[in-house]
Amino acid sequence: MISIYQSGLIAAFICIIIAFISLYQETDDLHRLILTDLTEIMALLLIALIATDLAEALILPGLVVMIAELMALAEIYLVKEGIQRKKNSSALDIEVMQTAPPILAGILVLYGIILSGFSGGAVAGLGIIFYSVCKGSDELFAQIETASGYAWVAWIAAFFIFLLLPGQWFFAVMIAGGAILIKVMAKFSLIGTMGGDPGV
Amino acid sequence: MIRVFDQGIEGAGLFMIEFGDIVPYFSVYTATLFTFAIIFTLLATFSIPEKQMDIIFGGDAYYAKEIKPQDLRFQRFVAIACGTATLGAVVTGDIFNFTLFAAMIGITNIGIVASSRSHHVLNAAYQYGIVAMIACVPLFGGAAMILATTGTLSIWSLAGIGAAPILAKILLLLGVMGEGMAPFYIGKAEITRAQGAPFILMVHVSSLLLFLRVVEIILVI
Repeated sequence: MISIYQSGLIAAFICIIIAFISLYQETDDLHRLILTDLTEIMALLLIALIATDLAEALILPGLVVMIAELMALAEIYLVKEGIQRKKNSSALDIEVMQTAPPILAGILVLYGIILSGFSGGAVAGLGIIFYSVCKGSDELFAQIETASGYAWVAWIAAFFIFLLLPGQWFFAVMIAGGAILIKVMAKFSLIGTMGGDPGV
Repeated sequence: MIRVFDQGIEGAGLFMIEFGDIVPYFSVYTATLFTFAIIFTLLATFSIPEKQMDIIFGGDAYYAKEIKPQDLRFQRFVAIACGTATLGAVVTGDIFNFTLFAAMIGITNIGIVASSRSHHVLNAAYQYGIVAMIACVPLFGGAAMILATTGTLSIWSLAGIGAAPILAKILLLLGVMGEGMAPFYIGKAEITRAQGAPFILMVHVSSLLLFLRVVEIILVI
């Protein structure tokens, strides 16, 4: 009878063999570097098979050492191939920054709306900063200003409800919470538009 | 109870801290390795780099290559870090810590080799780095298997009971072979006399001590 650990070990060794074969067949230096990352995950797999608290404590230093090696090798690769950063590109000119913003910003804004109020505004604003930093923000500016203005009006209106109709306090709290959310979000996202063109 | 010092390879026991599970200990064997590592770390700390001579073709002259201060500082730092990792590897009483120190020796060896800037040396450093990274799999895998089958990583408790599986020992040895392979690449790239010569020495010393230590661990557990 094979124990769970042994069957896991067999599965891990199959994965390791597949990774090694792929590494053996690959001749391009950069692709081999990426494949070594794959084999390192196999090492973490072997540690994780222990499945105790100690395994968790061992994975972290193992991961750190492996990432350090990966970074050192990536740096050597850059020097070796003479790759340098383009002069006119910004620090955020990474491919993932072109694809990730809609998803991440959407999640952040949604979570901010759920939080609502001041902290929700901060979270949602962070999402919009992220989006506008990555994607650029030409026409976004005016819309944010408009929304901010309406939010300010709604906030004041909520205070009038507090004073004139105290029985409707819950309605007023909801309006004020939503309005401050949009207000803080708009103020935050202005930071995101500052990085773009020099006039702002 | 003290089974470690009964093993043939260790020799007499000199020192131990019996506190908790993982027991750091010095036998004659590990103390020798430790002294050796300290001497060479100090040598790397206080030595001045050799300057490569270039003969001017067609003339009766030669000039010494300049080594930039930041290059020198980096090489010296990496050499000292390598020495420190070697010290850790020969002293530690924990198999996983040993594997971590071995991986650190691998990283610092990459640094020592890579700090000279010619293209073929960088190529050798890159190839060695890939080997060292792949070697992490058997290295950590061996340690993890020892932990999974015996329930401990302490060399002190594992000594002499022969509980560690032979496959785990083989994996550990394979991993150390990968990490300690730097001298081979140094020979391949012919950088023994290249820029930063005294620091290259640290690569050889750390590799040698790593092998001696893993032989001890495999024979003891």
